[in-house]
Amino acid sequence: MKHVGVPNSTSLEVYKSDGGYAAAAQALRMKPAEIVELVKKANLRGRGGAGFPAGLKWGFLPPGRDVTYLCVNADESEPPTFSNRVLMESDPHMLLEGILISGYATQTTVAYIYMRGEFIEQFHILQKAIDEAYAGGYFGKNILGSGYDLECYIHRGAGAYICGEETGLIESLEGKRGWPRIKPPFPAVEGAFRQPTVVNNVETLACVPHIVSRGVDWWLSLGHENSWGPKMYCVSGPVQRPGCYEGPLGITVRDLIYGEDFGGGMLGGKRVKAVFPGGLSMGVLRGDVFPRNAGAVDPKQDYDELDCMLDFDDPRRYGLMGLGTAAGVVVPEDVDIRDVLVNVTRFFGTESCGQCTQCREGSNWMRKIAGRLRAGAGRLYDLDLLEDISNNMGMMPGQSICGLSDGAAWPVRMLVQKFRREFEQHIAAQDPEAAERVLREINPAAYELPIVEGRATRSVGGTFQVPLDACGAGE
Amino acid sequence: MPKIIIDGQEIEARAGVPVLQAALEAGMNVPHYCYHPGLAVVASCRLCLMEMKLPHPKTGEAVWAPKLFPSCQTPVKAGMEVRFESDKVRQNQQRVMEYYLLNHPLDCPVCDKAGECYLQDYTESHGAATSRMVEDKHKNPKKDIGPHTLLYSDRCVVCGRCVRFTNEIAGTGELAVTNRGSRNEIDVFPGVPLDNPLQGNVVDLCPVGALLDKDFLFRQRVWMLRATRSVSPVDSRGQTIFIDHNEHGIHRVRPRYNDQVNEWWISDEARFGWHHVHSADRLRQPVVRDGGQGAAVRWEELPGRVRQEIVQAVGEGDGAGVAVVLSPMMACEEAWLLARCVRELAPRATLALGYVPVRGEDESFPRGFVIKAEKCPNRRGIETLLEHFGGATTDWGGVLHQAVEGAYKLVYVVGGYPDEWVTDRRITDALGKVERLIVHDLFSSALAEQAGVCLPAASWAEREGSFMNCDGLIQPFDRALSPLEGVKGDGQFFWELAGEAGLYRAARVRERMAAELPAFAEVFVPQGLPRHAH
Repeated sequence: MKHVGVPNSTSLEVYKSDGGYAAAAQALRMKPAEIVELVKKANLRGRGGAGFPAGLKWGFLPPGRDVTYLCVNADESEPPTFSNRVLMESDPHMLLEGILISGYATQTTVAYIYMRGEFIEQFHILQKAIDEAYAGGYFGKNILGSGYDLECYIHRGAGAYICGEETGLIESLEGKRGWPRIKPPFPAVEGAFRQPTVVNNVETLACVPHIVSRGVDWWLSLGHENSWGPKMYCVSGPVQRPGCYEGPLGITVRDLIYGEDFGGGMLGGKRVKAVFPGGLSMGVLRGDVFPRNAGAVDPKQDYDELDCMLDFDDPRRYGLMGLGTAAGVVVPEDVDIRDVLVNVTRFFGTESCGQCTQCREGSNWMRKIAGRLRAGAGRLYDLDLLEDISNNMGMMPGQSICGLSDGAAWPVRMLVQKFRREFEQHIAAQDPEAAERVLREINPAAYELPIVEGRATRSVGGTFQVPLDACGAGE
Repeated sequence: MPKIIIDGQEIEARAGVPVLQAALEAGMNVPHYCYHPGLAVVASCRLCLMEMKLPHPKTGEAVWAPKLFPSCQTPVKAGMEVRFESDKVRQNQQRVMEYYLLNHPLDCPVCDKAGECYLQDYTESHGAATSRMVEDKHKNPKKDIGPHTLLYSDRCVVCGRCVRFTNEIAGTGELAVTNRGSRNEIDVFPGVPLDNPLQGNVVDLCPVGALLDKDFLFRQRVWMLRATRSVSPVDSRGQTIFIDHNEHGIHRVRPRYNDQVNEWWISDEARFGWHHVHSADRLRQPVVRDGGQGAAVRWEELPGRVRQEIVQAVGEGDGAGVAVVLSPMMACEEAWLLARCVRELAPRATLALGYVPVRGEDESFPRGFVIKAEKCPNRRGIETLLEHFGGATTDWGGVLHQAVEGAYKLVYVVGGYPDEWVTDRRITDALGKVERLIVHDLFSSALAEQAGVCLPAASWAEREGSFMNCDGLIQPFDRALSPLEGVKGDGQFFWELAGEAGLYRAARVRERMAAELPAFAEVFVPQGLPRHAH
């Protein structure tokens, strides 16, 4: 990220003046397999969310292939994430150099940059950079006299979260509806246009030139076990300095919020209630004190979860799905947790592609329940119901084709589990009459239809009565 | 044949099929929506998930994997062990069934699919009695998507079968999925209605009541229908069908699985090619014209009368002046009976293949479905019989030519075409020269008006027999309806004409034919689908 803020940082001239494309020249003198080895040795793990080792992914390509495609995943749509955008806005040539080196390592013939539809300015910047790189001989035929050919195109998406899933991206690239494919075959064997394909995130590729030019030892000097190298962090919410920062892997969430070099503390000295440290879908951490036992706080046992380290392994200890995009969104103490739930479920309810049943119906059901909780017509039973739906929709390992279903269910389950007491307080504080009024508004049929005795009986589902199947509720 | 274990039961599966298919073929009731053996696998309904034993990563011992696998996507592998009877699987099925009904309007009482709906069946067998959703349902719209089809997208389960069908089998791709999440809808593109010669299949493919046939809309409750195995007479390929009927009326035609010919599909021609059966213009009364005015005649008198006509036409000679035109709409058995009877009375009678309707050219579809240009079911069968009987044989053109020359004293013309076929003056002119003309047809025509004896024929749904398709496959069809009042089944009439007593049964005639024609010893009846497959 060294060119951010440098005037005219998007031009080839500025990039080259600072040693740009030297790594590419160096890489093109090596053998492709040597670069793959280098990346494997550096243990470069994907920066897009899943953290899959890039070198290993490249190694899955079948030998003796004629055509290989490299898809650059620039469909950055995870809610609080904007690190790729910063990269493409300010340092597009670093990405292009990464594409060139990775393309050479995987013997790619064509590279496609699948760019999110909402990136309009970024598209023009990157397109200009590509034109410059073509003019400078970094793309096209016989690059830098090495005899290696690589074409590079930008494909713009239409703004769907699901197209950031690698097979959804490939389908969309092929001009179809962005529905993820069933795996196997994996893209490395049969991807875009039924040819071997590598899909890597923008940030992952932008790391490759540095591994080549600065060496594996420099890389391994940053971060720690299994999580080496630098990472771009985003922080948003009511902090002093929201934005995108670069740091080694393994800083803590507290550093991200309060660190001098990062968020710089909370606005107005508010306390943190919750943090989504890796994008919405990875789950939530508690920012306030987390009493193990109801009643008094025990300073020895009780802690908040802000000491979670942002690397590939530590978040799992806190019940998160993984590092994700390392983009933290901070929820301050004065925000109603029901609002957070509405926000999360609304996003996934809208973005579910609708292919698998669980995700299609479940995500919207959760959204409706969240809306009702927010409107003040919640039942205690809803919390169990939310957990049950999210359990079925997908806990790793999921039951649907792609990970969106897991990603939609995980934060809901985390929110309900970690903030259950707050939800319960809200429900207890509801005015029963108002709640019934709201419920009548939401679904008059539930009250107007005669209820057949024996099949569905009126049972107490929360603080007020709603028609509900007693058997269903018991499960 | 790899052996696999499903629910502790060892079964032999066909190599290369998915586990789901193997389970269905073994007679198990595994719920599924998106899987169809004729279409690409998408594994999106997540209803057929199963547990599978995999080697443990550390010990290598086979243990139940924590993840559920889609059985439609997992190919059969010798020695594999899977199960559907487990809490995990059942819980998933129950939850998924609950999801399907969240926004479903539950309008079974007015739904055409009710009774054969897999949403009903699976909710009954795998779902829960009530929903836990208390919010209001949202409702996707009802749409008119083509000249023959309606789409009630509020009932849709988005299995995507119809979309894949138009892409893969019909190759026209009119349908697509639009919108996201539970607002997902199947839709057509603006200005491109669902209109291709195979489109009706999407209605059969739909496991729920989302896609509806306008022809069958609100016509009957399906449990009141009786299905009869039949073969479509609309083209020479011999698409096998079920005729769904009750109380002397056909209500719809659906495909009958046939691995040799039409697989799971039928063309729209076959699907809608039954309306002529109930046409008001059909002949209903045998008529005899002794010069001038025609007079109704009783069926009992007719066999004698026709024999008499033939005998008189033969006179002292050997019958060279007699010709029988065997229509390619006739069943093999009927043609055989008639030809044999006439040859007995007039040994040198001419046997002719009737008019063969051809429209356009053969139409082929991406996965090999063909709609034949030849719009009759049994040309090949009649030709085989002509070859068998030998002697003087000719075709329709030959008959007309000879008739103009005045070679015939008697011509027996069998028609039975669903459309008007006597459109050419030359036909009536040529056959007008014949002294004794017998016409056996479905509809009144200029030719029937000329006939000395005019017999009303029965449609294919009112007859039984077998058709030999264009590839030489002999396929039997059953009688769905009894003939119209005043009409006698063609086979029954020929049976009586041949001097036989009792009822005409196609199988019995076929046995006799087989003595002379070994090809008819065995007919092809396609194997049905497994009980729980759909």
